[in-house]
Amino acid sequence: MRTRLQIGGIWHVVLILFLVLMLYPLIYALGNSFKSLSESYGTTLNVLPKLFTLENYQAFFNSLPVIRITLNTFFLGAVTTIVKLVTSFLAAYAFVYFRVKYKPALYFLLISTIFVPFTVTMIPNYLFISRLGLIDSVWGAILPQLADAIGIFLITQSMRGIPYSLIEVARLDRLPHRRIMLDIVLPLVRPAVTSTGIWFFITTWNEYVWPVLILKSTEQYTLPLALQMYISAEGGTNFTVAMAVSVVTMAIPLALYIMFQRYIIGTFASSGIK
Amino acid sequence: MNRETIKFYLLLLPSLAIFLLFVFWPFAYSVYLSFFDWNMISPEKKFVGLQNYIDIIKDPISYKVLVNTFIYIGVLLLMNCIIPYIFAFVIDVVLKRFKNFYKTALFLPAVISLVVGSILFTWLLNPVSGPVAIILGWFDVTMPMWTKTDGWVIVILCLITSWKVFGYNFIVLYAAVNGVDRELIEAARLDRVPARKIFMKIVLPLSSATGIYVLIITVVQGLQYMFTPIKIITQGGPNYASSNAIYHAFHEAFVLYRTGHSAALSILTMLIFFILLLLEFKFVEKGVYYEN
Repeated sequence: MRTRLQIGGIWHVVLILFLVLMLYPLIYALGNSFKSLSESYGTTLNVLPKLFTLENYQAFFNSLPVIRITLNTFFLGAVTTIVKLVTSFLAAYAFVYFRVKYKPALYFLLISTIFVPFTVTMIPNYLFISRLGLIDSVWGAILPQLADAIGIFLITQSMRGIPYSLIEVARLDRLPHRRIMLDIVLPLVRPAVTSTGIWFFITTWNEYVWPVLILKSTEQYTLPLALQMYISAEGGTNFTVAMAVSVVTMAIPLALYIMFQRYIIGTFASSGIK
Repeated sequence: MNRETIKFYLLLLPSLAIFLLFVFWPFAYSVYLSFFDWNMISPEKKFVGLQNYIDIIKDPISYKVLVNTFIYIGVLLLMNCIIPYIFAFVIDVVLKRFKNFYKTALFLPAVISLVVGSILFTWLLNPVSGPVAIILGWFDVTMPMWTKTDGWVIVILCLITSWKVFGYNFIVLYAAVNGVDRELIEAARLDRVPARKIFMKIVLPLSSATGIYVLIITVVQGLQYMFTPIKIITQGGPNYASSNAIYHAFHEAFVLYRTGHSAALSILTMLIFFILLLLEFKFVEKGVYYEN
């Protein structure tokens, strides 16, 4: 038994070290965002600032329309999340509770889009969005992502967990699909829908690849795009401001995760199981 | 069509419309564009047959990018598949305490934007003034100028992406390891089978369905995740040393305005993905255990 305990101890040390390395960047950003630029030189290793200052956050607010950018990010995240949840829920319901020819093939076709690299659709979508006149509009960033294969997959998985007899009884009672959907199925899959929604929101909030092609002016930027302005290969000179912008960009996703972590981890734990 | 069928398609319509407009049609259009010489602006597209594909095969940069892509895949598999698999086993089977704490903490970076990750690591790993360089300096080790050094640049960019992707893969693998029949593991333990053997002979085979899933997403999504740090930190440089198939297609389209090359390259990338998927089904899937 003694060797077992020792092995456990070694692994705890390894994991704690690993976690420290993984989480250090966040502490580093937070600490340095409250230092003045001159203090940060030579003291980057100190986690806590000697002189606590908000000047980096002020600099960020003075140089960019931060409120507008934050609202843009929020709007992009909220609209995308809500519409995606509705389209995914409806599609999942169709896939689980209807017996239709070609259904498995259709499901496979939609899910297989996970394996299409974004570069394949990038040029045509860019041309289409610009023809619609939506370049530099948040709608241009929203439109192509209003349906989601992973969302359909996750919600389908949780609907399959509902005993089918429940639905059969409701069908025998001639309950319309609308009622079954809203009064029976939705309450039962609510945890999965909630965590899928939170995950959608976090992902869209953090999104970079598509918005960077569509959104051109700082007025239309989202937070990750604004943050991108504070970098160059050498790091540039606005080190402490960059840290402040990083903190602002990650605050909301981190807060959501800390509030809903059990939900999120539970849903993702089940996502890999076929 | 009966009423059930009509209702089925009505429910599916919103998703299907989006997929048709923004995935399936663009896919077909990309195939079409790959046969034309076009710069995205000029009113005329010139039909060139297979010339774009021939250009790509002849271009030495393509080989550089292809080799890079496989190096990326190798490093990502190590950091986002093998290590989280081992961690999942250790935390679930070997350790008895703090399981939930480890799970919650390891997942945390997964919710943070890769743009944030890219910025933080650029500063942390700044070869002159970053904390890592300072600590290495105490031991008289000089950090390489990694943004300018072949090889190092890929490893560090992978590190940034892995920082974000690790937690998600870990959680999925943890659930799979957790799903393995406990009695089997306990029986092996009573027989004093060493942990390494329990992992290799029991847990790995019995959780392999999920293992394969994580393997695939590590390759397919990992390469796409790489786009963000590459674009933000190196733009594929120095001299294409950090470009991969995904970034190179973007570079061809939105920097060089060669849509034909870009489209052809994307189609080839997709083919490589599908070949990898097929190979996986053919060779690995045979030994895979599915629960039902």
